[in-house]
Amino acid sequence: MARKVATPWRRAKYLLSALILTLPPWYYYQSQNPVFPDALANKSTNGFDFTPMPYDENPPYHHDGKYVKDFLVMVNKGDVSDIRQAYLNIGKSALPLDVLQKEELGILHGTRHGQHVHALAKADIRDSDKLWLTVQTWDGDTFQVDWQL
Amino acid sequence: MGKKVSNKRWFQLHGWFTLPVWVLFCFICLTGTLAVVSHEITWLVNEDARAHNPDSAPPLPMEAITGALTSQHPTADITGITVREPYLTYAVMFTDADKPYAIAYINQYTGEIQEINDGQTFIDFMRSLHGWLLFPWQQGYSIGYYIVSLLSLFVLGAVVTGMMVYKKFWRAFTQPTLRFTQGTKTLLSDLHKTTGAWSIWFLLVMGITGLWYLIQAVMWHNEIEIEPWPASLSAQQVPMNNESAAGKPVSLNDAMATARGLYPDLQPSFIMMPEHNRDTYKISGDQGEIFFDQYSYRIAVNPYNGEVTDNYSPSTMAPLQTVMHLADRLHFGTFGGITTKIIWFVFGLLISGMSITGFWMWRRKLVSETAASSSRSATTQTAGVN
Repeated sequence: MARKVATPWRRAKYLLSALILTLPPWYYYQSQNPVFPDALANKSTNGFDFTPMPYDENPPYHHDGKYVKDFLVMVNKGDVSDIRQAYLNIGKSALPLDVLQKEELGILHGTRHGQHVHALAKADIRDSDKLWLTVQTWDGDTFQVDWQL
Repeated sequence: MGKKVSNKRWFQLHGWFTLPVWVLFCFICLTGTLAVVSHEITWLVNEDARAHNPDSAPPLPMEAITGALTSQHPTADITGITVREPYLTYAVMFTDADKPYAIAYINQYTGEIQEINDGQTFIDFMRSLHGWLLFPWQQGYSIGYYIVSLLSLFVLGAVVTGMMVYKKFWRAFTQPTLRFTQGTKTLLSDLHKTTGAWSIWFLLVMGITGLWYLIQAVMWHNEIEIEPWPASLSAQQVPMNNESAAGKPVSLNDAMATARGLYPDLQPSFIMMPEHNRDTYKISGDQGEIFFDQYSYRIAVNPYNGEVTDNYSPSTMAPLQTVMHLADRLHFGTFGGITTKIIWFVFGLLISGMSITGFWMWRRKLVSETAASSSRSATTQTAGVN
């Protein structure tokens, strides 16, 4: 029976799994230096000023049976505590509030320093689609703001 | 003759299960070993994380903890509280005008804020490094989590084939042999066999719980919900008036009292504040069961009327939920406090060492076979010349 000879491949092949360990430092660096897309223009209405920012450039993803896209919404002016509920959706028009408020997704959540939201969407975003923010304050006033995507 | 071939085949299989992944396996074992005692290491190296309690006082109510933070940082918005071992401070998560995310270490016995950090802790770092090698999470999955949990198959394969190779492994329990004077080869073989035999139970626990993590990963990826998240309130349950704008009528202390009304021995481990006005207080904890983890009880409380909207405990768990809440305590050895953590730490080191001794033996064999081959080749050439 031929004996094995320590060729370079034989010497190295069982060390190859170590290559995976080069990735954690890179991913750690990325996590410490996140890059986000540009925020959309801020818009003011009804005493509030909002700036939405997508978390990435990717199309909507499937989550809990819906397609959603993640955004950070900054409330630059106005008090977050004055908002009873607020929702974000992507489409040709804003979804009606009575539809939105039946959903688990699409609602703005977080703190006064930043609101997160899984905006309701379809699988693909079309040129005619806009980003719609629907806000209801505690006195029942409801208003909308939209952004071209 | 047949038996000999069979042993050779088991040996070959053992090599296939172990050698290609030994470096990765060793790294994951070492990070897991550190993750097991990460709370203790934190206590040792970070004085601000220690919860000194010279007067043996009981923990303060939760609102005294949150109040301690907001009184000194009025613009802070608290999102949650983590309760760790009694010797570590509570970790209060919050955002502030200049902090997108931060954690305050607050002594639960005195209410003193001992540290505010940017939310990156040694405990979380070690768990993330061990669990998914810091690979990013996409929607519902992480390639790193798959890589790590897939190693469970290699672990189980290595245990079975190792037992077939070393059929009389029980001798290592009654007559453990470590021969230090008969050369490196003998010592490596003794070390590998003895630690392997003594670690069979531990490798099986790691392999089986790791296999569960793999199944869990596939389920997450395919959006198969193992543990449904408490539903939000309907919009009709949120009062339509300006009084509610001033704050939730039901306080955190009220919610805690409601949870303890249901489970008198509840020890909270994680409290999540309502994230929006249709959200609830979510209080997770345990009642001192040995094997169920610290999230095995969860109570969701309506912040407007104090009603319990979701109530989850070991008695209501489906089989997969039970497995989910048993796995962590077994995998990390936290069920018996510091005693089992030390045992898990020691065996974590032992199996890390086994991957090194296994590779070392293979490498020595390859080098010696190469030397023998070269020697034979040289002899043949010399004979040919003569």
